[in-house]
Amino acid sequence: MAADVHNKGVSWEIKNGNLAPSDRLRQDRSDSPTPGLVEGTEPGAGQEGAMFVHAQSFEDLTADSESNTDNKSAEVGDSNPENAQKAALEGGEEEVQEESLEAEQEEVGKEEVQSSNKAKEEDVTSETWRSHRKHVFVLSEAGKPIYTRYGTEEALSSIMGVMMLLMSFVEDKKNTIRSIHADGYRVVFLRKSPLILVGVFRTSCSDRELTRELHYVYYQIVSLLTLTQLNHVFQNRQSYDLRRLLAGSEHLTDSLLRLLDRDPGLLLSAVMCLPLASSARDVVSSSLQAAKAKNLVFSILLAGNRLVTLVRKKDQFLHHMDLHLLFNLVVSSSSFREGEGWTPICLPKFNPAGFFHAHISYLEPASDLCLILVSTDREDFFNLSDCKKRFLERLRRRSAYQSLQEALNMPSYPVSQVGIPELRHFVYKSKSSGLYTSPDLPAPYQEEEEHERLMGLYQHLHSCLHNPTRPLRYIYRCAETENLYALVTSGFELYLCFSPLGTKGLAVSAVNKLLKWIRKEEDRLFILSPLTY
Amino acid sequence: MTAMRVDAKVVMLGKESVGKTSLVERYVHRRFLVGPYQNTIGAAFVAKALNVGDKVVTLGIWDTAGSERYEAMSRIYYRGARAAIVCYDLTDSSSFKRARFWVKELQNCEEHCKIYLCGTKSDLIEADRSVRQVDFHDVQDFADEIGAQHFETSSKTGKNVDEVFQKVAEDFSSCALEFMQEEKGVDLGQKKDSYFDNCCHN
Ligand SMILES: Nc1nc2c(ncn2[C@@H]2O[C@H](COP(=O)(O)OP(=O)(O)O)[C@@H](O)[C@H]2O)c(=O)[nH]1
Ligand SMILES: [Mg+2]
Repeated sequence: MAADVHNKGVSWEIKNGNLAPSDRLRQDRSDSPTPGLVEGTEPGAGQEGAMFVHAQSFEDLTADSESNTDNKSAEVGDSNPENAQKAALEGGEEEVQEESLEAEQEEVGKEEVQSSNKAKEEDVTSETWRSHRKHVFVLSEAGKPIYTRYGTEEALSSIMGVMMLLMSFVEDKKNTIRSIHADGYRVVFLRKSPLILVGVFRTSCSDRELTRELHYVYYQIVSLLTLTQLNHVFQNRQSYDLRRLLAGSEHLTDSLLRLLDRDPGLLLSAVMCLPLASSARDVVSSSLQAAKAKNLVFSILLAGNRLVTLVRKKDQFLHHMDLHLLFNLVVSSSSFREGEGWTPICLPKFNPAGFFHAHISYLEPASDLCLILVSTDREDFFNLSDCKKRFLERLRRRSAYQSLQEALNMPSYPVSQVGIPELRHFVYKSKSSGLYTSPDLPAPYQEEEEHERLMGLYQHLHSCLHNPTRPLRYIYRCAETENLYALVTSGFELYLCFSPLGTKGLAVSAVNKLLKWIRKEEDRLFILSPLTY
Repeated sequence: MTAMRVDAKVVMLGKESVGKTSLVERYVHRRFLVGPYQNTIGAAFVAKALNVGDKVVTLGIWDTAGSERYEAMSRIYYRGARAAIVCYDLTDSSSFKRARFWVKELQNCEEHCKIYLCGTKSDLIEADRSVRQVDFHDVQDFADEIGAQHFETSSKTGKNVDEVFQKVAEDFSSCALEFMQEEKGVDLGQKKDSYFDNCCHN
């Protein structure tokens, strides 16, 4: 019953004041960009400091920032010094996997697939179900199914039971199961007490990349419930069926998994801006800055999955991941198009223990511009609604609305603007601002499948650059249908995709040219002067 | 610009997918959206002005999600409401049980809130009588018992939809006369000082 969930003593609200690390000192801005740039002077680096919590890359993402929540069982294996034993175990694990697969087949055969009105209903014994590239399962520590990307949880409860067994089997031996590699599949396990996440992937990506995706799913769930509530329900009853509390949110996780396959921002821990003349952006930002309220912490204007501007309370920083979760919430729900939305939301990287309250609305019913106002006060709806009105009025008075609307209707920019022959596409991230820019996808990559393939290539390069034991500064790779070059410096990260006619020499020389171009265009492509209130 | 002027706060309550959002959509935007079901995230607010006699009444309608996840917060959506449209799906008896829950909740916490029981998706019943799971007279008896109004609506055809909201507005404006001496109406822009209001779940 709900009453045991929503207990009195538990506070889910975030009060002002407890927050994230503050910004580092800024270096001077260098005039001409060179690939050896230091952080803070690269093209796209903000002038007033970062908008986001400083995030290098996914090291930050996978590290537990929740120092305030004692996560007892999560890191059992990490502190285990017996690495040799672990390695030995990894070899042995494949057999375990094989056995379990058989067991799973039998049981699924026996079990009756319960009919439910879920749209994603799919026969879990079918070949199509098996052939999906990425399966994600979430279960409770009692082995109860919570989420599956394909098929229904009911039909998969025995598989999830097997996963649970596998995990506790290894943990009994004071170890942690991280992944199983077998037969072109990777099975990746992530224990984030009180949840267990398992990914079954048909991909060449590293375990780290895959674990990162599982982290995203975990934080998606936390953002709906808060970690406090999550712990609370399972403390009260180990066998609690979490689907009751998550009912209706499955499409958010589905959509997040699609974003992970397509949006380089989630890979790079960065956010893309809507290209916009800096004069227009400044008007938008200052109008948003002026429309403040006492408990307002973040004001975010989105154009689809691109950021128009973000104004934040002084000394409060948003984590790019929390912003991606907000993006996901907005893009996957049509309900904000009708009227004004008001919803509790936890920004888990900011504080997993409490809810913020978000006022979410489109500037116009048919527009792509969506305003998110995040407050600490659950009673703030009408105050924020008023902020929105004041913001719109200012915009209109300064005739900025029109230019904003025009920028929206235009595609980002074609890669041909850069003027580098054979360059098809690139992704450039400014590390200090946490923002990235990327041209429109050219023809061969507009198809969904090709798009995801390109992202897969970038992801592969990303995992090479960020290999924990042998990180690389740059990598050049000739694939069948394109040549790729990626490099990372202390200031930026850059991924380039050339036609197969490109050469390594061309790629290397393209970097300087591209950086110059980005420097020239940075006012438009980045938010150089983020505002606070 | 000043805060939105809203005369009466109206809250939509009921189990998920009974058709609360569709009812508001039909009433406010005169349309019925088909497509995969999208549950409401948190709650959505929309203001709508209508005529009662020669007066204009603005209803501030709160469409809630109805999911258990937000139950602890549901009080912020119905606190101070002058009317609650408690919806149940005529083709789903469990949704009526849930409606009873909301009625109880309102009776305990919001004694000034008038209750309107609304059986939704009546077009489905008209197409096939056998799908009805909630008896009209049972609900009518229940409505009499708690002093509520009772409607059966279809957001698909629009049947009875305007009538519900019109009735809400009429009841409000006739009631507002009585209230006038006591209070100046509901100021929804007003902020409460207490962070945690005493909630029914406690
Ligand atoms: N046939 C029919 N379907 C309806 C009606 N009202 C809602 N629905 C459907 O019921 C589902 C849930 O509706 P929705 O308004 O989102 O429910 P809510 O969760 O209570 O807001 C949607 O698929 C609607 O299309 C109705 O009057 N007739
Ligand atoms: Mg709804």
